[in-house]
Amino acid sequence: MSACAGVFAVSCSREQPKRATTLQREQQLNQFLAGVERRALRFAEIAVRDRDEALDLVQDAMIKLARNYAERPEEEWTPLFYRILQNGIRDWYRRQGVRNRVIVWFGRGAKADDDYDPVAQAPDPAGRSPDEQAQTAETMQQLELAVGQLPGRQREAFMLRALEGLDVAGTAVAMGCSEGSVKTHYSRAVHALRDALGEHWQ
Amino acid sequence: MKKPLQDEDLVRQAKELFDDSVERLDAATLSRLNRSRHEALAELERTKPVGQWARWMPATGVAAAALVAVVVWQGVVVEGPLPVTSEVTDFEILIGEDSLEMLEDLEFYSWINPSELETDGNVG
Repeated sequence: MSACAGVFAVSCSREQPKRATTLQREQQLNQFLAGVERRALRFAEIAVRDRDEALDLVQDAMIKLARNYAERPEEEWTPLFYRILQNGIRDWYRRQGVRNRVIVWFGRGAKADDDYDPVAQAPDPAGRSPDEQAQTAETMQQLELAVGQLPGRQREAFMLRALEGLDVAGTAVAMGCSEGSVKTHYSRAVHALRDALGEHWQ
Repeated sequence: MKKPLQDEDLVRQAKELFDDSVERLDAATLSRLNRSRHEALAELERTKPVGQWARWMPATGVAAAALVAVVVWQGVVVEGPLPVTSEVTDFEILIGEDSLEMLEDLEFYSWINPSELETDGNVG
């Protein structure tokens, strides 16, 4: 009986640090997700051009990261998270492709892009005048339209490298391809955007 | 005349615009993001690795079931010989000499039985 109690005590003493580690991991993950969630939302929103869909995609990516990769080293989380999100966006495009084909089949036509408002009607944190805000919003819309017209891999490379600030190695993990491919796609994306936006930007 | 847009300028301006749009997210969207994050953390809680004692629970259950099975099986074996003894006793009675004679005169006994009853009835 005393031996059994001893084993139990040893087991409990092992459980204590494990529980503390799990709690620490939970805090780290919370901190990571809190730091990445806004940018991830805008990332997904630019890709799918719908805020509600983007919110769902970000939530799915968060849950999958917590479920499958929480035990991985913290420095791997960023590329893993964006890889999950990127896969979600690709699946979304596939589903949309099927949906649009069905809609065209029934003769209803696809939803017009004009319905999309990229910037919510929120007060400006930088305290800019309405004219300046409108100018910024318009420029952002031009960027989003131009990015949206890029081929899929170029769009991914540009958004991950330029907007999210991932390095080449991290972008390669997120895109699931080689670093050489990342460089190629990124370079082509920048040239295409420069051609598309050069008239408006300086 | 406009200066041609350089790659570095394009990337810098795009990043500034993107950062600006991130900062301007409205409160309702931020609230939804917050809820999503908490749901993800709840998922982490659900998939937490089990403790050392919990890992042994299935093995303990199987061992207990096996012990119960052995005890029940042994109880059945102990009760087994009792009916065999009584069967042998019955068999000895059947092969006894008197019993065979009785079997030969079965018709007589079946006839005498009702007549005895009638006699008893008369006497009674």
